[in-house]
Amino acid sequence: MTNGWCDIANTDVVLVMGGNPAENHPVGFRFVMEAKRKRKAKLICVDPRFNRTAAVSDSYVPLRAGTDIAFLGGLIHYAISNDLCHMDYVRTHTNAPFLLREDFAFNEGHFSGWNEETKSYDKTSWQYDLDGSGYAKVDATLENPRSVYQSMKRHYSRYTAEKVAEICGCAAEDFTKAAAVICSTGRPGRVGTILYALGWTHHSHSVQLIHTAAMLQLLLGNIGLPGGGVNAQRGHANIQGSTDMGAWNMLPGYLRMPRAHWGSFDAYLKATTPKPLRPNSMNYWGNTPKFATSLMKSYYGAAAKKENGFGYDWLPKLGETENQSWGFFFDRMHRKEMRGFMTFGMNPVANGPNTEKMLESLANLDWLVVVENFETETAAFWNAKKLGEKYYPKFVDPKQIQTEVIVLPAACFAEKDGSFVNSSRWLQWKKAAVPPPGLAKPDQEIIARIFLAVRALYEKEGGKGKDSLMAMEWNYAQPLTPSLEEVAREINGRDVVTGAQLPGFAALKDDGGTSCGNWIYSGSWTEAGNQMARRGQEDPTGLGLFPNYAWSWPANRRILYNRASNDADGKPWSEAHASIRWNGSRWTGDTPDTKADSDPHEYGAFIMLPEGVAKFYTNELVEGPFPEHYEPMESPVKNVLHPNASGNPCAVVMAGSADALGTPDKYPYVAITYRLTEHFHYWTKHIASGSELQSNFFVELPEGLATEKGIKGGDVVRVSSARGSVEGPAMVTRRMRPLTVSGRTVYHVGIPIHWGFVGRVRGPLVNNLTPSVFDPNSGTPEYKGFLVNVEKL
Amino acid sequence: MTTKSIERFSFAERASHWTSALCFLYAAFTGLALWSPRLFWLSGVFGGGETVRAWHPWGGLFFFLALGVMFRRWARQMQLDEDDQVWLAKSHLYAQHIEAGIPESGRFNAGQKMMFWLQSASAFFLLLSGVVIWFPEFAPRPLRLGAILLHPVCAAVSMGGIMVHFYMSTMAVPGSMGAMVRGTVSAGWARSHHGKWFREMGGR
Amino acid sequence: MTVAKLIDTSLCIGCKACEVACQEWNDQEFTLGVFNNTYQTQPDLTSNFWNLIKFNEHVDDGVNSWLMAKYQCMHCADAGCLKACPAPGAIVQLPNGIVDFNQDNCIGCGYCITGCPFDVPRLSSVTKKVYKCSLCSDRVAAGMTPACIRTCPTNCLTFGSRTDMVQLATARTAELKEDGFKDAGIYDGPGVGGTNVLYVLKHASEPEKYGLPKDPRIPWAVSLWKGPLKWVANAAFLGTAVGAMLHYLKFGPKETHDDEIH
Repeated sequence: MTNGWCDIANTDVVLVMGGNPAENHPVGFRFVMEAKRKRKAKLICVDPRFNRTAAVSDSYVPLRAGTDIAFLGGLIHYAISNDLCHMDYVRTHTNAPFLLREDFAFNEGHFSGWNEETKSYDKTSWQYDLDGSGYAKVDATLENPRSVYQSMKRHYSRYTAEKVAEICGCAAEDFTKAAAVICSTGRPGRVGTILYALGWTHHSHSVQLIHTAAMLQLLLGNIGLPGGGVNAQRGHANIQGSTDMGAWNMLPGYLRMPRAHWGSFDAYLKATTPKPLRPNSMNYWGNTPKFATSLMKSYYGAAAKKENGFGYDWLPKLGETENQSWGFFFDRMHRKEMRGFMTFGMNPVANGPNTEKMLESLANLDWLVVVENFETETAAFWNAKKLGEKYYPKFVDPKQIQTEVIVLPAACFAEKDGSFVNSSRWLQWKKAAVPPPGLAKPDQEIIARIFLAVRALYEKEGGKGKDSLMAMEWNYAQPLTPSLEEVAREINGRDVVTGAQLPGFAALKDDGGTSCGNWIYSGSWTEAGNQMARRGQEDPTGLGLFPNYAWSWPANRRILYNRASNDADGKPWSEAHASIRWNGSRWTGDTPDTKADSDPHEYGAFIMLPEGVAKFYTNELVEGPFPEHYEPMESPVKNVLHPNASGNPCAVVMAGSADALGTPDKYPYVAITYRLTEHFHYWTKHIASGSELQSNFFVELPEGLATEKGIKGGDVVRVSSARGSVEGPAMVTRRMRPLTVSGRTVYHVGIPIHWGFVGRVRGPLVNNLTPSVFDPNSGTPEYKGFLVNVEKL
Repeated sequence: MTTKSIERFSFAERASHWTSALCFLYAAFTGLALWSPRLFWLSGVFGGGETVRAWHPWGGLFFFLALGVMFRRWARQMQLDEDDQVWLAKSHLYAQHIEAGIPESGRFNAGQKMMFWLQSASAFFLLLSGVVIWFPEFAPRPLRLGAILLHPVCAAVSMGGIMVHFYMSTMAVPGSMGAMVRGTVSAGWARSHHGKWFREMGGR
Repeated sequence: MTVAKLIDTSLCIGCKACEVACQEWNDQEFTLGVFNNTYQTQPDLTSNFWNLIKFNEHVDDGVNSWLMAKYQCMHCADAGCLKACPAPGAIVQLPNGIVDFNQDNCIGCGYCITGCPFDVPRLSSVTKKVYKCSLCSDRVAAGMTPACIRTCPTNCLTFGSRTDMVQLATARTAELKEDGFKDAGIYDGPGVGGTNVLYVLKHASEPEKYGLPKDPRIPWAVSLWKGPLKWVANAAFLGTAVGAMLHYLKFGPKETHDDEIH
């Protein structure tokens, strides 16, 4: 989240789209209700289903799964064409005035630089028009047709209310009514927030989708203000933490993965450290060498020296274009290019797309280690043919599977101390409530024991990568059972000479004088102690920032980009909506997202970006500098904007033997997958309250579709896709309306996840159906908006 | 010959009467315990509230069954004839022991017949409503509401009737108790109270 | 001080946290949910499930509504269960207004089930005792709020003195009216002397939409049964006994004319 849960209470308009917080984040949702009660905030819910959030919303607009960019693009067009944008904000804090190159163009669904053969873009024409010193040219009047603003205006002029209605399937007047409320926040004194979750990230165009949301919020001047922002509601207590720590194809602190063609540490730093694009850009990522060097010091300790590139050579490296994210490595496993797999707190058979492919992939392994609280579908994958009954006809008999499966019982979250990083970016330290049962051990002990045993083997027998293993620092008081406090202190970082805990990332050095496991967490465990364990409830700003409660990355800043809540001169856009203020010599209030004593005119408000301002236009994403509506890779209709570029041209579509895509003639209905409030993913089917409050798998069908097929509530139906099928009772509902898309009726089929072939309650795995299609930027599978058929059994 | 005795009630009749009487008393007293918190102390006499709640319905059911035996035996004899109509019309004279103009009674006089039908009807409705109250979780609400009214109304009518019955059989008509206990009455008693029956039995 | 629970249905998201909290605090087992074409997987209250969120779905003029409402004992001032109960001490009305069942004194007759205008008490087929929400009388006695209140994430549930709750409910109603819900109002069962569980409803003139009875009253049959009928019956018993006595005194026994027999 750019802002945070508590901050939602400060808003005037809540747009919930691609999420269902009342269902899935009920505790955080209290702040939405608080905004509604205390500020008369309007809650607008846009979703294929009239869901729990819609039930308490002020207005609900249905839309077809996977058409969110069209809806948001329509809002951009509505804001611009009705003069509802916060233009002073746009001029001051965004790249709207930047000029684009003359050869930049958009045509029939493709931007300039498209190469049909490689299915990729040459991004040269996407650069800014630079002046002699390498800075982008700007036009402060925004009149230049090559300005980002004018280009954006042109790009979204196609997204009229009628077009939105045609694509999304909602009524044009419903869209316009919602747009009027959402865009009412485009003036100072009114602020709106956007809440989203997996309904946005589970698409083949998900990153661009969130980019569109950010663009809308920038146009309305809602980024950096209390009650504003673009707020991702994370799906686990600590998923933000795992993202921050680099679980997803990144090094900790969002440092890029080393690649083979960056032959030295210097080359790595040169390639990954950006240069400022405007004279007033602070370009904080310019400090990348300090972050990266300190990370190397925390990996290799004394062995990391300037002479050996701080151990850069020891790090494993990706090929120039290699991708090791989920879809790719499972694809590799499916092609028998992987031998072993360790999975911690992760159940790929249940939560990966295209379950049968997951099963086949695991069956190709020599060994599989599952570290879990329960026997999961992944641990029991070898028996899927029996346990999964009819769903995996092609999967092999257990006797033919040679994979050695080792299940290690792990302590659950309540059985160990450590920290959670919540959606608000708060690091909250917790204590163990009870000791782990039986032979279960905390993760760090499992990792330590494996690491030390493997290292001892390498020491004895040698092998590839031995040097790296030997050089790695492992100086915990109890090497076999490191305490998480030690690990947390290590992540915060210390001065390698004095041994003192660092006060924050500003103290990091690029000469090896500091070590730090994750630069954005620096400041979480200082000489003053564990900042994450703080529980102060003071609220000096009255905005619900609670600066002394836990610790928020970065630098205990509660609202990101808060500098943008003030104008160029440091004056708040609105007195009620500034979490920081310039008192003539310093910024006061929240930790300022700029240098604390820098004059308002010294730096642009977006210090992490080379532009120094926020970006409507970016050349960092794969499929284009402006988001464009592309249909899901399986769609019932062709893209009405450009039928010849219907889906995302750059989407990752696996094409192995298990990766079929369906067509609307055989699979005419749009399927969506979602979570229910009673359950947490695939875990709570193992425990009493969750499994029994919601015991039964079901399929939600719109009334019209059910009538067409002669299906009554409770009738067992089979939902099938090109990959597989699920069977269960139908919940016939009027909460999912038939939508009229391009003149024809489109039905959704809703399928909650949470069941599987092991647990106290069982049911089919929804991912039997989902396609091996991924967003090209994030690698997230397209779990929502794929095609299925429905039959009554 | 005052000592000559006539069999008035067979063993089977007496057995079923006293069985139903005992069941009635049990159901009545336990029923009173459940009737009002002020009478709840009665439940202590019968083994406590839960026991009373559990056994009262069985007491009632056995009462109904025992009464059923009597019903089968007596229903025909209890039909009211023309004389009975006259008897009923002049029952206020009967109460004052004025016999002139009151037709002689058969085995049962019209008052006893009325008592029989009253108790039979009450028992029937007590059973119907009682079953509903017995299993509240299975009965629809309107039925339960009807039952909780019908049950005490029938019980009150029935118990009131039994009070009259008890008075008549013990104090008001000496010899009646002997008839139901020993089974016999004196010829004089039979002639005095049930003249028609006395003659049917061969008396003069 | 009379306590009360306020359920602001306009803030209920049907998360079922109160259901879980109720089960956990009262140490009751969970039972497998059923599928009956709704998100409400527990069809009704049971003797060991005292707190149910009803998922009421409506479509009016093409507009969906999904009215979630928590359903439990209303703790009436004029409690129908108490009126119907024959066993002293089985149902008690505490000075703070909580109507509590004491299973030690309960005889399991089930009269309270019939007496309740809200159809709340449930008879256990195992223990043959009746159970329902106690408004966590144990927690309240210890100065804590009821378990459901403590766990509610959206502040849909609040707890305090009845006066405060009425005030809050009135304020919320005014807010909802301002928000365009002209029919917003408080539901507190005036027909039963007021309940200590109050609802704020967006559609106060149609409580049936929430699964609540329109005009809850102690059934007239129960009132008649425990009121006039009792006195009429008692008078009739007394009258019969006195009548018999007077009859005997005036007319004496009906003698047998032995002398006529030869």
